[in-house]
Amino acid sequence: MEEGIRVNREVKVAIIVMEGTNNEEEAYQSFKHSEATPEIIHLKKLEDRKKKLSSYDIVCFPGGFSAGDYVRAGAVMAARIKSNLMRDLEEFVESGRPVIGSCNGFQTLVELGLVPNVDGDGRLEAALAPNMSNRFEARTVYLKMNRGNSLFLNEFKEGEVIKLPIAHSEGRFITRDKEVLGKIIKNRMNVVSYVDGSGKESGYPWNPNGSEHNIAGITNKNGNVLGLMPHPERVFYKYTESDWTRENNGTGMGNRFFTSAVQFVREKF
Amino acid sequence: MTKEEVSTIISVIGKKREELANISKMLHLGLSADEMSLISSYFKNEGRDPTDVEVQAIAQAWSEHCSYKSSKIHLKKYIFGIGREKVVALGDAGLVSLDDDTAIAFKMESHNHPSAIEPYGGAATGVGGILRDILSMGAQPIAVTDFLYFGTKKIKGFPDPKFIEGGVVAGIRDYGNRVGIPTVSGGIVYSEMFSPNVLVNVGCVGVVDKKKIRSSAITEPGIILIVAGGKTGRDGIHGVNMASAVIESGEEDITTVQLGSPITKEPLIHAVLEANDKNLLFALKDLGGGGLSSVVGEMLEAGGMGGKVYLEKVPLKEASMKPWEIWISESQERMLLAVKKENVNSVLRIMEDWDITSSIIGESENGNRLRIFYNGAKVLDLESQFMTSPKLYERPSQLEEKRIVQYLPSYPNNFAKLLLGMISDSNVRTREQVVRQYDHTVRGSTVIGPFAGIVGNEGPTDASVIRPNWNKVNGVAISHGSNPFYSKIDPYSGGKAAVDETVRNLISVGAEPLGFSDCLNSGNPEKQKVMGEFIEMVKGMHDSAYSLDIPFVSGNVSFYNEAGRRRIPTFPTILGVGKVEDIRGAITPDFKGLGNDIYLVGLPTTDLAGSLYFRRLKKDGGRVPYSDPRTLKRRGWNLLNAMRSGTVNSAHDVSDGGIATAISEMTIGSEIGAALDVSALGLRTDFALFSEPQSSWIVEVRLGREKEFVKYMGEDAIFLGQTQRSALAISRGEDKVLVVDVDQIRKKWKKGYE
Repeated sequence: MEEGIRVNREVKVAIIVMEGTNNEEEAYQSFKHSEATPEIIHLKKLEDRKKKLSSYDIVCFPGGFSAGDYVRAGAVMAARIKSNLMRDLEEFVESGRPVIGSCNGFQTLVELGLVPNVDGDGRLEAALAPNMSNRFEARTVYLKMNRGNSLFLNEFKEGEVIKLPIAHSEGRFITRDKEVLGKIIKNRMNVVSYVDGSGKESGYPWNPNGSEHNIAGITNKNGNVLGLMPHPERVFYKYTESDWTRENNGTGMGNRFFTSAVQFVREKF
Repeated sequence: MTKEEVSTIISVIGKKREELANISKMLHLGLSADEMSLISSYFKNEGRDPTDVEVQAIAQAWSEHCSYKSSKIHLKKYIFGIGREKVVALGDAGLVSLDDDTAIAFKMESHNHPSAIEPYGGAATGVGGILRDILSMGAQPIAVTDFLYFGTKKIKGFPDPKFIEGGVVAGIRDYGNRVGIPTVSGGIVYSEMFSPNVLVNVGCVGVVDKKKIRSSAITEPGIILIVAGGKTGRDGIHGVNMASAVIESGEEDITTVQLGSPITKEPLIHAVLEANDKNLLFALKDLGGGGLSSVVGEMLEAGGMGGKVYLEKVPLKEASMKPWEIWISESQERMLLAVKKENVNSVLRIMEDWDITSSIIGESENGNRLRIFYNGAKVLDLESQFMTSPKLYERPSQLEEKRIVQYLPSYPNNFAKLLLGMISDSNVRTREQVVRQYDHTVRGSTVIGPFAGIVGNEGPTDASVIRPNWNKVNGVAISHGSNPFYSKIDPYSGGKAAVDETVRNLISVGAEPLGFSDCLNSGNPEKQKVMGEFIEMVKGMHDSAYSLDIPFVSGNVSFYNEAGRRRIPTFPTILGVGKVEDIRGAITPDFKGLGNDIYLVGLPTTDLAGSLYFRRLKKDGGRVPYSDPRTLKRRGWNLLNAMRSGTVNSAHDVSDGGIATAISEMTIGSEIGAALDVSALGLRTDFALFSEPQSSWIVEVRLGREKEFVKYMGEDAIFLGQTQRSALAISRGEDKVLVVDVDQIRKKWKKGYE
């Protein structure tokens, strides 16, 4: 019986938003349809201590244009968190529970220094710069999964090529210096890479923004924080994949990210 | 402010017509001498002259933009009565039924004049305004659409068409992407006809629980009025008056264009929907053209109430604003919420939670008078009915008699070149360089977006499909129809063709059409020819929609798209929504497999006027293609049944460039070609391939289901050939007509992208 209780344990997800965040609905639905209990929480409520991060199992930073992204993408959200909530968030990360940020959420994680964080000191090591094409790009890309130790990628085969939508104008992942990039590669933290239709790493348009080393997504060393530009939450079911009328991809590319994290929490916590 | 500064008395009683016309001009009221005389006699009865606030308020309400005074009589006669039993509710947007619990709210409207003056701000606030119309019904927006018409020729004194295009696209992108609603459908037409009168027609679709639909009528006294969202500023003053006059030059008053802030709008949507979901809102309406003046008046009038408003309570951007400016400002991102007293605190708390400015500005009262105060001084005291009942015009109209001259082109000697030319034509080739700047997957519900096919090589689609509820399998299909080229030659047939195209597009994805919204674009209605065209257009729309029994539930009219001696043709952009019973059966145009049968549902025509074929030959002649709504209904609904039974692999409607172009487009996203024989179509080969027959589709039939398919379609299906590897080959019996590689087609179609 004890097994059963563990399986049905409620997994609480904090989806953190501020004005301009706008991908929370699909993030909410994705966790809901992964049998978790998501909650959309305005940053204000965390700042006012009306809500506490420690009472959640997973933290999600959804995409959008937090604060309008009129300065560097994700910078305002990160600054607000740093000035007030950083200790709570660091404790959450150190506890080993899952944190995911896609698109603007990825930008926020980078600004917060939570990824890549190769040196473990939380300093800013990378940035998501404007796309090389200098324009907003909305399309589907091919991605190679280099699982590493990311807890979000447990349900993917090593080297599997999948397809996810992207929609951003600032997605070019660049590192502070060669050293940081070297450590990312050495530690196998570049867990999601842009590839072409045949699974090879190629340039534009397959790499839609000109990211260094074709990096689309990155984990921290511990494998519990994932930041990525593509949007798994938009293709939870295969019927929103852009080529679903041609190919039967089974259940949907996106849902594996979420069910994997929810399962991880059920097993480990 | 001293009392004199608060508001000025405008002396109108006993004034002559010319003097009244002069007052209208001096104060930028945009009213005619007749209308000014009505105001003069109204105030004579009141025994006093009006304040500036009063005449400005009346001018807003009586503007063409707000009152539809030139079109209402015709719209009532031809448009409003169709398919009423299918309409769930009407208001700022119209609603039709998706299923037992859910209604679809949708609307399309123009933002032409602001976009011509300030393309970036004009287009952005167009998106903002249409989103608020959907929100006003209590509905969650699920999709934004935009149909754009750009000029190709630089006109002296006006901005370069490329500058206009860049601004409009950036405005839609920066607003739509930030507000988090996918931009999924629309179109772009390039033509000299739109120099310098650019048209920006924007649409929005939403869904709402039928039990939570709200109206804008305030039917009880003591209802509190709350303005929520952005602050009120001087931007957008006299916007409706500007939109109700011809553009004199490229240097119009820029203060008439509003400024948008999607980052205010995005939480406003959440907050308003949360308040509505908790049943805290009695009524609501968005603040658009005419500002508070239009909205307060209309909400009270609709419910038979009077009311009072305290202008000093309105949160301002600029403290020095005069009362009349506050009252008519069209500042963006504002909603007027009407709330019962006991719910006021809860509503204000929700607004605060979302960091949204809100303020109580007044309340409803028994009676029929609206009274406005500013720091204790009464600045307006009018019967709301007087404001909202302008003089309607049945303006004189004249039908232009056109002699139809036939034109017979010489027989083409290189069909492959002709076809490839059409595929790379500026009005056929991909719009990816624009559309891929719009986020079309946000909200994670886009089942069919603007492009479909092999990732990296996608081709076009006919309609988009959104799955609004992840727990259900039904979907909302969204598409448009418009053909200004046909309309220019024959506004009646152009009106019919727009309905035909909308229906075709919806059926192509497997959706049953449910309703239309019409955005009517025209010139100066005071010209008899323009009015004649307008009446012809609505007659055409009527004749089609009436036969199909599909209602027009919302829309708008944009007159005065004229500059100097240049004016646009009179034509509609129609936004259509449909219901996909089961999204898992939705259909895209890209060919799916090798060796499958290809059918034409329809018949080519000899009516080539306005067709891409003739446009490329720079020739005119004959009639535009004829649309018979009964044929459309028979073919369309039979095809729907064939699709629902699973006999169809892919489908694409026949439009610009005819059958040959439609088939070519089906190869783009699939890398699959076709071998076709057009002898069964009769007619000259160029007419068979390039005429644009209405109510027609190309269909790839599922292997082994051919007989069933033909049984559904009867004689409407004509066998053309089969899909094959990598090349499109067309013959006529023994004679080869053309062979082109699929790669070549794709390369031509992708011209201008990457």
